[in-house]
Amino acid sequence: MIAVIPNADALDLFCVGLNHETSPLEVRDALVLNDEEVALAIRALRERGGASEAMVISTCNRTEVYARGATVENPHAFVAEILREIKGTDLTGRDARFLYTYREPDSVRHLFRVACGLDSQVLGEPQITGQVKDALSLAGRLGGSGPVIERLLDAALRASKRARTETGIGRGPISSAYAGVSLASKVLGGLADKRVLVIGAGEMAGLAARHFVDAGVTRFMVANRSRERGEAFGATISARVVSLEALPVVLPGADIVVAATSAPDCVVTDATVRNAMKIRKNRPLLFLDLAVPRDVDPLVARLPNVFLHDLDALGVLVAQSLAQRRAEIPKVEAIIEVEVSRFLRWHRSLAVKPTVTAFRGHFERIAREEMARHKGRFREQDQAALEALVHGIVQKLLHHPTTRLTRADQDGRDGIARIDAVRDLFGIDPEEEDPNANR
Amino acid sequence: MHPFTPLLTTFLPVLYALSVAGYVRIYVAEPGTSEGSTSQRWGPMLLRAAVVVHILYLTTRGFTEGHLPLASVYDFLSATGLALAAAYLYVETRGGIRTTGVFVLPFVFFLQVVSSAYGQGAGILKPRIQPIWFELHTLTAVLGYGAFTVSAIYGILFLLLYHDIKANRLSFFYRRMPPLETLGRMNVSAASAGLALLGLAICMGVGWARLAGVHLLADPKTWLTIAAWMVLAFSVLAYHRLGWRGPLAVYALLAGFSTLILSRFAVDLFFHSFHTFR
Repeated sequence: MIAVIPNADALDLFCVGLNHETSPLEVRDALVLNDEEVALAIRALRERGGASEAMVISTCNRTEVYARGATVENPHAFVAEILREIKGTDLTGRDARFLYTYREPDSVRHLFRVACGLDSQVLGEPQITGQVKDALSLAGRLGGSGPVIERLLDAALRASKRARTETGIGRGPISSAYAGVSLASKVLGGLADKRVLVIGAGEMAGLAARHFVDAGVTRFMVANRSRERGEAFGATISARVVSLEALPVVLPGADIVVAATSAPDCVVTDATVRNAMKIRKNRPLLFLDLAVPRDVDPLVARLPNVFLHDLDALGVLVAQSLAQRRAEIPKVEAIIEVEVSRFLRWHRSLAVKPTVTAFRGHFERIAREEMARHKGRFREQDQAALEALVHGIVQKLLHHPTTRLTRADQDGRDGIARIDAVRDLFGIDPEEEDPNANR
Repeated sequence: MHPFTPLLTTFLPVLYALSVAGYVRIYVAEPGTSEGSTSQRWGPMLLRAAVVVHILYLTTRGFTEGHLPLASVYDFLSATGLALAAAYLYVETRGGIRTTGVFVLPFVFFLQVVSSAYGQGAGILKPRIQPIWFELHTLTAVLGYGAFTVSAIYGILFLLLYHDIKANRLSFFYRRMPPLETLGRMNVSAASAGLALLGLAICMGVGWARLAGVHLLADPKTWLTIAAWMVLAFSVLAYHRLGWRGPLAVYALLAGFSTLILSRFAVDLFFHSFHTFR
């Protein structure tokens, strides 16, 4: 049974989860949550944990639970219990080490690092941004997200966007297939009007073809030993499909050749390429040999305007990109710190007492300024009466809003939204508040 | 001499030197990173300023002297530098590629330094040259030389990148260069433009010679230039019609450019020609 503490800090945001660094693949696989399971987790966090807002990010490399305002004493144990109930995987005892727990502000910083790709298995990979967006969208549909988590995700995605535009964290190829596309762009320039011949219909061929589709290529040909498999693969990229025997016929029409078969011998011979180059009047031809053993005769590399690159060569590009990305980490960390500080300033400003103080102070300051401005228009003996009148009007105007604001922390998400709206409407800047005010 | 001329003569090489430094900074910065992102703007800005000042300088001299300032070899160098800088700016603006500036602009700087250092007061026309023909003929020739120089520089960059890619040397230089196809296209396009401009210059020169009764065949500069133009014309034609691609096309254009340079400078050194500047 998990202990519940009724007076827990309503603004605290915790994160409990596991990722590729803390847990083995089989544990991560066992804890991937589908939409229904995410719904169960969010419901448990809200109903049993007292969280006013909750969200779950679940991908092949991480499962993380974020909750705000939960009243549980030990979030680590509480989330482990929820995961055991939903997935049947016990993360107590020795396996408790797979889970990490962050409390604010580390939980905020961790989410920003995740969104920026610093916590990804492949540094700076872009898919995580979409996965974070999806997690927020799902939490919204399930009634888990609220003003704070939405603002948190907005800030995290802004940090991610800044990291990707202001630094090189997302630049350069990080897989051999994508390195092939990068190399093709370097040799041939724009790829939109180029024709790609894919030899083979396996996983690597499919991956490379998808990268070329993303790069704007629309004209594909597929050559495969098995006609049926080739047709099935060709249909996914709208390709013309031919047999391997037709290679000498179709090769002159290709600008890029992706070879990824499991054939034991070379599929593309030196003589075939020589003939093709004659027909294509020496226009450049790029071979990306992604097969082991190799599909393209290494001798073709000696022909003018023929570029042959195998997995080793593409691996060089991948290694360079990763080194380049690692060098960008300090710049991304700096962006994250700025965005985390900005978010935390806003989050702390949601505390009731400083908001009420700032709200009242805002009106009283306006009243004082206006009285000072018009002082000369009234007689000396009327000044006291004037001050009493203005003060009375201000107090009357502020009475109901102040009462409602004071109760905001008892009204959960509506209360937070109310405080945020008041700050927004009256332009109350967290920077101008008394730093010693209690939360 | 206009009072501003000495000032601009000194100021121009300084401006070009600063732009070269700016482009070195761009080249050294790791592509795709934020490194030097703010300081990467001042190189192109300085180059634009240098080109404007250069035009101002030549215009001032043109008004002061009453003709285009193309009467000495030093004027020719300065104008070729301007043509080169302007051609590079055109390429940069169209292609958005700044990493090649470091290979082009040192030539501009060098040409302007030589012109500024040795060209003072060397702008007097020979009496037999008719100004209007001379000016049009020399102007198109200067622009043609500028275009061919751009072509040659991009051709050399093409060869370096081509061999790097073939040999899997995908490192510092590779990461900073535009696509090979772009370098090849720049090489041929600039040569085509140069061919048209130099062709025009030759035609105007021939027209002027016929009117003036000058025997062109006796002038080594003329036949060397025509020979270079024919080599270059054949190279461009071979690219379009015979499928000369890649290194072959570049080597052919470089051969033509070398002949052209030979015709320009060797004639001044070894032959007597009516093209010889003072």
